[in-house]
Parts: sequence; C-alpha cells; structure tokens
Amino acid sequence: MLKRFFENRIGVVGLAIIVVCLLVAAFAPWLAPHDPLAVDISLQGMEPSEAYPFGNDEFGRDILSRVIWGTRISLGISFFSVIFSLGLGVTLGAVAGFYGRTVDNVIMRAMDATMAFPAILLAIAIVAVMGSNMFNVVIALGIVYVPRFARIIRGSVLSLKSREFVEAAVALGASDAAIIFRHILPNCLAPLIVQTTAGFAYAILAESSLSFLGLGAPPPAPSWGNILSEAKDFMLDNPMMTVYPGLAITFAVLGFNLLGDALRDLLDPRLR
Amino acid sequence: MLAYLLKRIVLMVPTLLLVALMVFLLVHFIPGDPAIVMVGGDATPEALEQVRRSLGLDQPQPVQFVTWFGHVVTGDLGRSIGTGIPVFETICERFPTTFVLTTLAMLFSVALAVPSGVLAAKFRNTGKDYLFMLVSLLGVSLPGFWLGLMALLVFSVQLGWFPSSGYVPIWQDPIAGLRYMTLPSITLGFFMAAVVARMTRSSMLEVMRLEYVTHARAKGLTEWSVLLKHALKNAFAPTLTTIGIQYGMLLGGAVVTETVFGLPGLGRFVVTAIYSRDYPAVQGCILFIALVYMFVNLAVDVLYKAFDPRVKY
Repeated sequence: MLKRFFENRIGVVGLAIIVVCLLVAAFAPWLAPHDPLAVDISLQGMEPSEAYPFGNDEFGRDILSRVIWGTRISLGISFFSVIFSLGLGVTLGAVAGFYGRTVDNVIMRAMDATMAFPAILLAIAIVAVMGSNMFNVVIALGIVYVPRFARIIRGSVLSLKSREFVEAAVALGASDAAIIFRHILPNCLAPLIVQTTAGFAYAILAESSLSFLGLGAPPPAPSWGNILSEAKDFMLDNPMMTVYPGLAITFAVLGFNLLGDALRDLLDPRLR
Repeated sequence: MLAYLLKRIVLMVPTLLLVALMVFLLVHFIPGDPAIVMVGGDATPEALEQVRRSLGLDQPQPVQFVTWFGHVVTGDLGRSIGTGIPVFETICERFPTTFVLTTLAMLFSVALAVPSGVLAAKFRNTGKDYLFMLVSLLGVSLPGFWLGLMALLVFSVQLGWFPSSGYVPIWQDPIAGLRYMTLPSITLGFFMAAVVARMTRSSMLEVMRLEYVTHARAKGLTEWSVLLKHALKNAFAPTLTTIGIQYGMLLGGAVVTETVFGLPGLGRFVVTAIYSRDYPAVQGCILFIALVYMFVNLAVDVLYKAFDPRVKY
C-alpha cells in the first residue's frame, strides 16, 4: 500500500506540500524573522526590503512573519474543526446506522436540515451568533462538515451491519460500542480518510473566508484570512501585501487536494 | 411526474420545519440577552422592552416559535432593526442582484467546464489532460475572494477593462450592468467550473468504457459524434447533479464575492446585518437562502430524469 502510494507522484507532491506547511507551523517562532505582532509606525506600508522581504502592513508589522505564524493559526483552526466534525459525524452516523428506526430518522433529518444551508453561510451565521473567537470558528466550521462524515459512516454501517463477522460479534455478546468501534469502523476507514483530507482543504478555505469577512480569529491574530482582510484596504498602494497570504492559502489547500486525489485513487478502486 | 414532484415537496416539509427551527434558534443561542446585544448596553429600559416585545422575547419559547413561524409562512419576516424596513421587502429588492450574479457565474462555469471536461476525457493521460488536471486542481484550491481581489487589481486597476467600484443593475442597462458583473461572476464561478470539469471528465471516462460507446465507434461514427452525441448524453446526469449542488454553494459564495466587489446583493446585506447585530434581518435572509437552496436541489433531481430515463419516480 505504502509503496503504491509513493509511486503516485501527485500524492507525493501533495504530501510534501503538507509536510512543508506543518514544519513551517511547528517552527514558526524560529523561522519568522520578526515578531508578527510588533507594531512599528515608521515602517507603515513599506515596500519589500532586505530586512522585510514581504514588506510591512498598515501597522508596520512584518508581513513575512505574519504569513509564517498564520500557517500555525490557519492549519490549527482547520485541524481542530476537522477533528470536531470527524468525532461528532462518525458518532452520529454510526449510531444512526446501527440503531436504525427512530434514532436514524431523527439524526439524519437533522443532518438534512444542516445540509440545507450553503456551508459557508451556516458557518457565518453560527459565528455571527456565538461571537467570533477561535473556539467558535472551530465549532462553526466543524458543525457544517458533520453531515458529510455522518452520511458516509451511516452508509457503511448499514451495509456492514448484516455481514457475518458483525453477527458473530453480536453472538459472542460484544457490547454495541465494541461492535461499532472495533468491528465496523475499521472497515470504513477508506472513504473516511478521503473525506478527512477533503475536509482540511475545505476548512482552510472556509476559515480564510470567515476571517476575510471579519468573522474569523479576532485580530491581531495573523491568520491568513486576517492578513488578507487587512491588506485589501491598502491593495492599491501595496498590491504584494495581498498576494502572499493568498498564495499561502492556495499552496496549503492544493497540498490537501493533491493528497486527497491520490488517496481516493489508492483507496477507492471503483474510481480508478 | 406531477405525483413525484408533489411527493418530493411533501417530503421537504419536515426538513423545512427543522431548517426554520434552526434559524429561529439562532437568535436564542446569543449569549446573554439578545435585546441588549441588539440595542447596546446603554439603551433605556423602555427601548429594551420594546425590542423584547417586537421579537416576542417576553413569551415562552415554543409560543415564540409558533408565532414566528406563522408570520414566516405568510411572508412576514419581521422588520430590520437597522433600517426599519420589512426584511421581506429588502430580500425582494436585493435578491435579484444575487440571482443574476450566481446565474452568470453558473453559466460561465458550465460553458467553461463541460467542454474542457470532455476534451480532457478525450485526451486522457496525455499532456493536455495533465494540464487540465493541474488547472482544475488549482481552481478548487484558490480562495474565491482572493481571486476576486487579484482580478480587481489586474483587470480593473491596472488594465482598466472593468469598473472597480459602483454598480448598475443589469436589468436597467444590460451592457453597463454586464461590465459590473463580469469579474464577480467569473471569480465566483471559477471554483464551480473546476469542480464541474473534474466531474465531467470522470463521468465521461466512466461512460466511455461501456459497450454501447464501443458499438457506436464500430458503426464508424466519427470520434466527435461518439463523444458528444453518445457519451456526453449519459455522462451529463452526474454532472448535472454536481452543477445543482454547486449552484447552491454559489449562493453562499456570493456573500463573500458581493463583499469583495461591493455589489448590493442579498449576501452583502447579510454581512452588514451581522456586523450591526440586526438579527431579524439575519434570520430572514438565511431562511430565504436556505429555501432557495432546497428548491434548487429539488429542481436538479427533477431535471435528472430528463438526462437519465432509467431513473424511476
């Protein structure tokens, strides 16, 4: 399996991009040449220079350092939101599929209702109501993605429920939780992994949109969307300010999309 | 057909009720007193009381929901706290712009995506195909609002091809209106174009493996005739579903695009309403957009039949 993955150049490029992003996020304090929050009015809106290769923003903060620290914030928010929707979605989907009937109906109708909103709009609404801080952004982005995981898991559970190995586990007196987590879930990992990778790409994009609208991580936190949002007012004087954070977002999302494509080819033989 | 449509609409009712309940509860999740949040901490007790009464916050919650829902069904979405105008009126005034924007974006992306998806499938695993895959992957990785900013910078500011601010409704002056709409709809539609193109390519590849395509080739039909008349017709059904889902997503994306380009659509109104904590307006608009989204999905399912007669109602 690993060997086949590494034969796929697209997947390797995607993985490499993600590893670079993770390293930048992990070593941000050492990589960033300046303090991302240090305000220096004398450097306000400066063009790129040797000391500040990406230039300075309206408060004279170093844009390069902000983009580097932004990796940590943007990847962090998307990581936790995907973990949140993965946890909640898998649990809800498994419970709905396993118990069926009323439980299934209630859970899946709630999922339908959640999916009846355009994703980004629902996230905007949740953050608007709960207030914009990093925790609420994670929850909002997470909730929006829950139905996708729930649907996948419910489908797999339904098709696996009647298989012999599950019946054997039931006959042996295994608890419901053990059957779901030890016997059923390991058999639906493939679509789950593909969806999780897609989830990261979505979350990075959605987080940047929220921040751009002023509903993401509150300033002065240098999330990529925030940097862009602040830069847009100075776009005419200093266009490069808007270019770098956008490239960073595209780079990271591209990494997850490439990896997702490769994993789908690898794990889902029907689509090959 | 009609029976199917009716059945689908009846099945939509529980989802609709849930959606309405979720939108209703939005305001009730506001931490603290929604009235204080809306009018500000230094408001007089009378003003607070008035807001509470106008929102029905002095009633028990189930009663509030029933009252609110009763109003909603008759098209009364309440009044905007900011403008004092009925929310429904604002929606009627603002939605046409959003509709034109999303429709143009959809037309642009379908016009770009379907032919390029077909071409990529025809030239599968060649340089042309790889180039297509690369561009379409970039398309799904670019943040739409950033693409919008870059387009503004290059085509409006540097080259001066398109106006960078201002707005003329397309129904007042089609030519000028289109100039204002070109960049927004292209940037909004770009993501969708990439998704639809990828879907077209993969469903074309799926269909081209089938025997009836081989049969058509064996009959001596030209390759284009096989591709367009035989393969595309069957490959189009899954593509259509993707177009439908993506059109719904455009309604969400429009919120951001309208903000970037300063278009006076419904999305921009929602964002302004959120900033000013105008919750009746937020509730009304979100409910309306969700409704449109659901009906788009219904329309897609019905249209599906036109392209795939195997689907039974």
